[in-house]
Amino acid sequence: MQDLLHTPPKHKIVVIIPAYNEGAVLISVIKETLPTGFVIIVVDDGSDIPLNKMLQPYPLFYIRHRANLGQGAALQTGFNFAKKLNPDIIITMDADGQHHSSSINSMIEPLLTNEADIVLGSRFLSPGQTSVPIMKKVVLHTARLINYIFSGLLLSDAHNGLRAFNATALQKITITENRMAHASEILFEIKKHKLRFKEVPVTISYTAYSKKKGQSTWDSVRILFDLILHKLFK
Amino acid sequence: MTGIQLVLLTGVAFISLYFIIRLKKKLLDLVLLAALILAAVIFIIWPDLTTALAKKLGVGRGADLVFYLSILIFWFVVLKLYARIRQLEKSFSQIIREDAITKASAPGVNQPTDHE
Repeated sequence: MQDLLHTPPKHKIVVIIPAYNEGAVLISVIKETLPTGFVIIVVDDGSDIPLNKMLQPYPLFYIRHRANLGQGAALQTGFNFAKKLNPDIIITMDADGQHHSSSINSMIEPLLTNEADIVLGSRFLSPGQTSVPIMKKVVLHTARLINYIFSGLLLSDAHNGLRAFNATALQKITITENRMAHASEILFEIKKHKLRFKEVPVTISYTAYSKKKGQSTWDSVRILFDLILHKLFK
Repeated sequence: MTGIQLVLLTGVAFISLYFIIRLKKKLLDLVLLAALILAAVIFIIWPDLTTALAKKLGVGRGADLVFYLSILIFWFVVLKLYARIRQLEKSFSQIIREDAITKASAPGVNQPTDHE
């Protein structure tokens, strides 16, 4: 794999990390991402203890929601802010250490070659993926089918937070679903604006921490409910 | 007039008064509400009417008919409330987002701000 440090500097790449009540794991994600030389934007989604003191030593943009709105809302705030920086590529990444900046290179490749406007990470395409917890598998595959019914796009993964957008996608995509239904909403937006997308294999680390922070099976019922409401009150 | 009729009518009167004050500007809601109030008052005063109507509609008892209709109305109200909550959430998010972006701190100037 090509060294991240040797990515051509002519492209301005921004990484958006939405974070809520994070700690040491977020710091390690940032430490891992900083050597890439990408611009980092941390959106603190109203954490109980503001993250700015903890993040002070690191060169990054810090944005804080005064109240907790949800990951979808934090991403949109990141997008709005990123637009001011005129980036060529925008990457979104989870703060819980599930994603690795080593995946970023293969994510941005299709954007640099102008093959796609948006690249979605997929854990089920990755041969190096260690076992996905069984319940997670069931939920994700059900979610894929539900996404297919709602959006007409059948992907190999659902609700994977690692995504890459080019400037066109950044301008066109608007997330209005504040909570986790935003993952499906992005698919609606891809369809609506006829954006070209590509799935790329990424490896997800299931640590005890990320499992605790992640979605429970019951959350998916809530997501489905949000989706139905989204369609009802368009 | 029986005791229960008095209790129910007082309830309807208070609820209507409250809603009429709140909904002054929404004509459609007001018309709907007026129809509901009228139906409630009529059925409370002449409860046998519900039975007659229920029989015509193929429901056994008047009380059952009222119950079924209430479920329908309940769902309608729940949906309306959800629509309203989503609307509120949208404006709320916009305000928070704008506030957050104006107060964003750039690399190197990560001084603690008045975020708290």
